[in-house]
Amino acid sequence: MFLWLSAALVYCFLYVPLVIVVLFSFNDSRLNAEWVGFTWKWYGKLLHNREMLAAAMNSLVIATVSAGAATLLGTLAGIAMHHYRLRLLPLLVLAPIAMPEILMGVSLLVLFIMVNMTLGLVSVMLAHITFSIGFVALSVQARISSMDPALVEAARDLGASPWRCFREITLPLLMPGILAGGLMAFTLSIDDFVITFFTAGVGSSTLPLQIYSMVKIAVTPEVNAVSTLLMLLTLVVITVASRLSPTLFRAQ
Amino acid sequence: MRKILVVLMLFLASPVFAGEELHMFNWNDYISEEVVADFEKRCNCKVVQDYYSGTEEMMAKLLAGASGYDLVIPTQNAVQALIQQGFLEKLDKSALTNLKNQDPGFLNRSYDPGNVYSLPYAYTTTLIGFNEQRLKEQGIEPASWALIFDPRILEKIKGKVTVMDDADELFGAALKYLGYSVNDVDEQHLREAQAVIIKAKPYWAAFNSSSYIKELTVGNIWVAHGYSSDMVQARNDALAAKRDFAVNFILPREGAVLALDNMVIPKTAKNKKLALQFIDFLMDGKNAAGLSNDVGAGNPNSAALPFINPELKKLTAIFPDQKVLATLETLEATNAKVRRLKNMLWTELKLK
Amino acid sequence: MPAIWCWINTMRKTMQGKAWHKYLLSLPPMVYLLIFFAAPTLIMLFASFRYAGEYGGLAPWYLHEEGRLTLDLTLENWQRLLGTDIYLRLFLKSVGYAVMTTLICMVMGYPLALTIARSDRKSRDLLLLLVILPFWSNFLVRIYAWMIIFSPVGALTRMLNGLLDLVGGGPVTLMYSPTAMIICLVYVHLPFMVLPLYANLEKHDLDLLDAAQDLGAGKWRRFWLITWPLSLPGITAGSILVFIPVLGMFAIPDLLGGTNGIMIGNVIKQQFMESRDWPFGSVLSIVLTVTAVAVVLLGARLGQGRGGRG
Repeated sequence: MFLWLSAALVYCFLYVPLVIVVLFSFNDSRLNAEWVGFTWKWYGKLLHNREMLAAAMNSLVIATVSAGAATLLGTLAGIAMHHYRLRLLPLLVLAPIAMPEILMGVSLLVLFIMVNMTLGLVSVMLAHITFSIGFVALSVQARISSMDPALVEAARDLGASPWRCFREITLPLLMPGILAGGLMAFTLSIDDFVITFFTAGVGSSTLPLQIYSMVKIAVTPEVNAVSTLLMLLTLVVITVASRLSPTLFRAQ
Repeated sequence: MRKILVVLMLFLASPVFAGEELHMFNWNDYISEEVVADFEKRCNCKVVQDYYSGTEEMMAKLLAGASGYDLVIPTQNAVQALIQQGFLEKLDKSALTNLKNQDPGFLNRSYDPGNVYSLPYAYTTTLIGFNEQRLKEQGIEPASWALIFDPRILEKIKGKVTVMDDADELFGAALKYLGYSVNDVDEQHLREAQAVIIKAKPYWAAFNSSSYIKELTVGNIWVAHGYSSDMVQARNDALAAKRDFAVNFILPREGAVLALDNMVIPKTAKNKKLALQFIDFLMDGKNAAGLSNDVGAGNPNSAALPFINPELKKLTAIFPDQKVLATLETLEATNAKVRRLKNMLWTELKLK
Repeated sequence: MPAIWCWINTMRKTMQGKAWHKYLLSLPPMVYLLIFFAAPTLIMLFASFRYAGEYGGLAPWYLHEEGRLTLDLTLENWQRLLGTDIYLRLFLKSVGYAVMTTLICMVMGYPLALTIARSDRKSRDLLLLLVILPFWSNFLVRIYAWMIIFSPVGALTRMLNGLLDLVGGGPVTLMYSPTAMIICLVYVHLPFMVLPLYANLEKHDLDLLDAAQDLGAGKWRRFWLITWPLSLPGITAGSILVFIPVLGMFAIPDLLGGTNGIMIGNVIKQQFMESRDWPFGSVLSIVLTVTAVAVVLLGARLGQGRGGRG
């Protein structure tokens, strides 16, 4: 009983703030300090806010590219880590996950400036790939270790070439792990603020950066509106993802 | 996998934007949106803005290689540093038909003799904004920097004060309060200023350079240290939102920082022609007046004066007369050693 | 695109010869991470011995003198770190916030994880999903939510002050206080504690508890003697996952911190994004890196020492 009560309280703690954000996105007051009345106008304004739309587009492009590349590299890393006793690779894959984000942000900033690279979409993508590889690799590795090695052996016994064996047996079996990893990389990229903050340049502002500056300057309930839309979007993505791969949440 | 890659290629192939773009790096709340919209209509382009809330923040971004801004609005001390760094493009004066509108009093200053690289945009003072009713209730008469530094006054408004999260501005205010120059780099004097800040700090709510307009308007904060233009906006916002109080501001009698902000074009700009066009557009009297009427800034443009709300023109905190001007000082560019010292004192005082 | 096909083709050919697989598979991610993770970390170490550029960035690390190159490196940045106690205090303060947050997350997360682990299979997935869901909305949005709540004219503060007024207490402000910061830090990091704890608690053998009950052990005794010790690896894992990101946090102190809410992350950010003092920023970053590594190693050792799966 005590357990249930405290759990319920924690759930309240988790959800009340989000409900307030959503509620106040309908508040008909520019100052948004107390409740005035209901309105849709902030959503309308949002649709005409070019900077916001451009940032959303940037976020999407960056997340797609970096998730794609990280999925490729992370899958290779995951397979390699499972099949061979490597020393350096697991360290390189796991360390970025274990470090505070700010460290990767500032060190990449120093690197990019040292090689005279202009900060922009590309630098942000390179940074996002760096922190996503590990998550994909772990997801793929977890999937392989749950695979039955007898399947591959059987195929080999039946005369399949190693390549064919990989393409027709290993890869399809790995797919859920790869997809889950890729999806995770995508959401991590869409969501990232800290590393983007240090590596973004002119015209590469992403949604989180935009939200940060809005929260900091504290303009209007447009922030609430964009937050509400983002929450809706993630809700949809999660629902779709859990249909696609029920193991996704276990992989966390 | 193949499908993902194809989608990815499509994404990359499709241009994200079409049409010309002008990337502008500006102080937050420091441009008239109407004027921007007018310009966009006229030149069929988009003005994409990034904002900053402190000179140091802007310099760090620019010098860390944020290239691609076509137009930046730095304060005079930053202009000086950027010129020394060889970061700025010389302005092609022949393309500027509205140059004659500039008030000669703001031209040819020591930070850019002959205005080779920069032209004045607007000016502000750093002062104190306050909630009239709440201060009256507490029996406080705002007149001096003591309002944010004297514990005896602060006692009555504890937790209702914010100061700027900017070492140069806050040290500047504290130095003025002590009777020194805002550009004093004597370590002893800076330490005295630090002591003043540390003594007052427990009574402040936060260091805040970016959202005090809203905090004042909502009524969360009663006293804020900030830019004059922002205080004008807070006053107008509070009026428009029919709050049950009025926001006002005062230039402390000890004097304050005057910031002359300029339009400059970085060498790395991608669209210098458009940037020049925008500068010329902004120097048109009517457009320049928007900076005062909508933003609340002081105006270095003579042709703008007839279009400016006369009530605003009367305020010496916005348009200082000779007597007030004598008490104001502009910040000078600092070297790495002074920056380091201030930075250390700043970290120290924040920890206390 | 062609590059990828080329790669796959080579991979396919060499799949026949065994020794090559290893490199073909592991080399691309390894090279990538060496360039974008290992190299920058080493560059930071190097940068911490260099002078700051006059206008920002780094000064050249060599000098041209009489046609010869000489190194221009310095210990000055490290001396600055050790020369005063400011940075020690800053560091301890950050650690203090991180420890506090971790403890509160533990106290709040444990009952929740236990409830989920002990509920029936059907509702378990839903309850777990409910923990993860807020975690998928951007963390700035979640911070912003609390900024609305903490606003002095906001409902919560008014209600609280109304209650305090009834019992004769003075009004309090929540916004810009250490309390606000801690609440927000806990809010953002709570799932990091709940998930590993749940993963651990779920695996417990309930027969052990039944056996203990049969032997007459009470509820609390059963908890302290069986569940708690068994869950220590989960607690260790959760604590590391909360502690490390909190230690490097700068956005929450930035937005909610008030006059003395400052953590090591803020000062690092300040060196890079405001003061233009990269060498000193690098020094502080290295201190943070070493701390994080030490915490992870300590956690790994704790996990191993108890023989659990952390």
